[in-house]
Amino acid sequence: MTKPEIKTIDKVNRTLGKRYRAEKRFRLYGMLSIGFGLLCVLFLFTNIIGKGLSGFTYHYLQISVEMDATTLEISDTSDLNQILAGNYSAVVKRGAYEYFDVSSRRDKSAARKLLSVDGTGYLLQDRFKVDAKEIINTKSMVWALVDDKVDFYLKRLGEPGEPGKHEFSEKQLQWIHAAVESGDLQKRFNWAFFNNGDSAHSEEAGIRGAVMGSFYLLLVTLALSFPIGIATAIYLEEYAPKNKWTDLIEVNINNLAAVPSIIFGLLGLAIFLAFFGFPRSTPLVGGFVLTLMTLPTIIISSRASIKAVPPSIREAAYGLGSSKMQVTLHHVLPLAMPGMLTGTIIGLAQALGESAPLLMIGMAAFIPEVPTGVSDPATALPMQIFQWFRNADAGFSEKASAAILVLLMFLIVMNTLAVWARRRLERRW
Amino acid sequence: MNNSVTTESIAPLASEKTPEKAKTSNVITEENSDAYTTVGQAFSENAKMSMRNVNVFYDEKQAIYDVNLDIGTNEVVAMIGPSGCGKSTFLRCLNRMNDTIDTCKVTGKFLLEDQDINDRKMDVVPLRARVGMVFQKPNPFPKSIYDNVAYGARIHGLADRKSDLDDIVETSLQKAGLWNEVKDRLQQPGTSLSGGQQQRLCIARTIAVSPEVILMDEPCSALDPIATARIEELIDELSQNYTIAIVTHSMQQAARVSHRTAYFHLGKLIEVNETEKVFTNPDHGLTEAYITGRFG
Amino acid sequence: MDKLNIDQHISQQYNSALDDLKTEFLELGGIVEQQIVNAVKAITDVDTVLAQEVLMTEKEVDEREMQLDDLCTQIIARRQPTASDLRLVMAISKSTRDLERIGDEANKIAKMAIAISDSEDLPHGFSELRNLGRHVQEIVNDSLTAFARYDIDMALKVVNKDKEIDREYATAMRELITYMMEDPRNISRSMNVIWALRSLERIGDHASNISEQIFYLVKGLDVRHQTPDEMAQQVNKQRK
Repeated sequence: MTKPEIKTIDKVNRTLGKRYRAEKRFRLYGMLSIGFGLLCVLFLFTNIIGKGLSGFTYHYLQISVEMDATTLEISDTSDLNQILAGNYSAVVKRGAYEYFDVSSRRDKSAARKLLSVDGTGYLLQDRFKVDAKEIINTKSMVWALVDDKVDFYLKRLGEPGEPGKHEFSEKQLQWIHAAVESGDLQKRFNWAFFNNGDSAHSEEAGIRGAVMGSFYLLLVTLALSFPIGIATAIYLEEYAPKNKWTDLIEVNINNLAAVPSIIFGLLGLAIFLAFFGFPRSTPLVGGFVLTLMTLPTIIISSRASIKAVPPSIREAAYGLGSSKMQVTLHHVLPLAMPGMLTGTIIGLAQALGESAPLLMIGMAAFIPEVPTGVSDPATALPMQIFQWFRNADAGFSEKASAAILVLLMFLIVMNTLAVWARRRLERRW
Repeated sequence: MNNSVTTESIAPLASEKTPEKAKTSNVITEENSDAYTTVGQAFSENAKMSMRNVNVFYDEKQAIYDVNLDIGTNEVVAMIGPSGCGKSTFLRCLNRMNDTIDTCKVTGKFLLEDQDINDRKMDVVPLRARVGMVFQKPNPFPKSIYDNVAYGARIHGLADRKSDLDDIVETSLQKAGLWNEVKDRLQQPGTSLSGGQQQRLCIARTIAVSPEVILMDEPCSALDPIATARIEELIDELSQNYTIAIVTHSMQQAARVSHRTAYFHLGKLIEVNETEKVFTNPDHGLTEAYITGRFG
Repeated sequence: MDKLNIDQHISQQYNSALDDLKTEFLELGGIVEQQIVNAVKAITDVDTVLAQEVLMTEKEVDEREMQLDDLCTQIIARRQPTASDLRLVMAISKSTRDLERIGDEANKIAKMAIAISDSEDLPHGFSELRNLGRHVQEIVNDSLTAFARYDIDMALKVVNKDKEIDREYATAMRELITYMMEDPRNISRSMNVIWALRSLERIGDHASNISEQIFYLVKGLDVRHQTPDEMAQQVNKQRK
């Protein structure tokens, strides 16, 4: 033992610093990745929110309007046809001339152009629908929609940088600023955005039609894909014999999950529209297509959660003499349900944001009416966003951003629901 | 000192130990495997279950070779043996739990009283009501204590009224020695109990169906010694009314709780004898080697 | 010949514990055997020094007995021996007691030797004493050998030989009684010889007891309180 022995601890100590440095670097890589991800998300959100928030508000001008029956061409307030056909634009115009106090033809035209006469007309029409008797032949204050160019100009005005190009005359500008200063021209919450369907005019366009369309779509999708998906998963996991046929089915289900969604749209076009002849552009057909698309997701996640049910529970139930169905219904399903629900909600969230397959079955059409059932023609939120962005009108791109915010809200709500459902159901035991 | 310190393998030594005995060989090889007959007392005059010529296959692989065994009424039979010897597989045949495994094929006669339970026509649902099972890991359902015990009675329709069900739950818990510990919290989840309590809950759940035979697959392997002692005490009490077959890794446990002990080795039933006999003077060299800790 | 394979456990510690136990036991046997030889020699050669030596070893025997008991307890507590291991521990535990008793008897003989050495003339019965002493020492040796080898046949021989010793003892007794009747002055001296003979006979019984434990150890048979023929029958029945 002449050789001086190097103790193990010395060797360990020698490498210790290097090891810790490597570990620190390793942790740093992870933190950088997360930071990058967070930055992207932050950028996305600020961008969308910054653009979209202004879509929820609009500028209104308070004018007093004489609800003159003759000008409105309404003789009988109980006749709905007359109310629907009323000439509301005429009274709005007259109110506008009165407010700006103009008489010459040129001035009248300039004043008229500052307001969205038709849009305000619809607002009046809505009011007449409720209580025509009360307000006919009265003079009342009305918040009239301004023209989208005015709205756009005013919204840009508050922001830093160049005031932006505009086509207003000196007189019009004067009027606008005077109205703003007097408090008659105000930025107000844009209820029309939530109450109206699509429109050719950006100031009248709302997302109600798209939201309802998406709602019916999801309703159909949920009603079909949840029972089918869960039944399939239970059969495959609990009953199906393990042979090459079930293997084939399994492989195909997994492959379907990876098929591009537009293929499902083509499938829907070919089968549901061309072969079965279902009405196009309807949430019914859209729901069918989205069902096809979400089924693999639901089946795969349901099977995973069935597989995750501890075999000991199954054995215990079998050991007591439960039949297969009792084991499945009493024990497997309740334990797998949180996972199944999560899978379903995530599948639906995916379906909610899907646009490509809907494109193929005609849900990208311009549909101003709000759908009232699954067989009415409708569009969906992502489709609406897509259309509005395509529109050159600056007002529409603002609406599109707002609609994105709404869509994001729905997705967040749905995902929260998924998390909540899982927690809630799991916490019971 | 004649204590040879050779490094011969166990098997030849074991056969050398009992050269005069009737057993042709203690070494089980492929050639003589079929000819093997169990040593000791595999049969009982008062048999509750009689198994004859039991062979079990997993796909092509044979797991149990030609086992014959009786389990007497109100008897506790312990099955011991190294891992993979087929004792659990055999136990699970007794209430057809192996049915859930597709690749498992079981042949032979399993008489429960006079009924062959291995008959494919035999319905497993009533069978499992007659032959209950307690598993290795305590596996209460994620339900309340009450529902755990009441579950079997419910699915078999044993109680017509709520009060009947209450009675079943109470007597079962009492028999399992758990009543006093849980009577104030029957609505709490079964999983909130300690490991030993959970296992007794599982036993109560099994008793609630009033089976004739209780199978226990290493019921104490996940429990601490005190909980184990409670379960063993319980097994002793239950043997007054039930026939019990227990698989255990703990030889001491087999020695403590059982009336007869069966030793399995590589799928063969090597020896069955009175427990005292097995643990003081086993007939077979392999049994001896196993229980004294000479291989494992 | 049977084997118990006490060195075949997975646990090497267990192997060595059992091995130690057996070695200690046989060592104690050796010491006791030597005590018998010395005691008989002391009495027949009138060697008080040797007798003292026998008395001196008594303490060691006692200590070793306690040590063996302790070893047995420890093995039972730590290893929970079963089957052949259990039988080995039990047999040794019981036989240790017999060995210790043999030691006690040898002591008694040594004490007699000291007592007898005071008288001048050679008493009668020394030849019987020497004879019986040799035989007894033989069966003690045989029983220990049988124990070491787990040899049933040899154990059976020991039991048979013990019966012979009993007969030999009875003959010697008769002779000494006749002698005492002839001359009552010999009584006190002869009584000492009789006590020594009696001790030797008792030693033979203890050796026989040890042999009976070998039956239990090797075959798991309890052959106590049986005639040698019955033992042989039982062994044969089991071998059948």
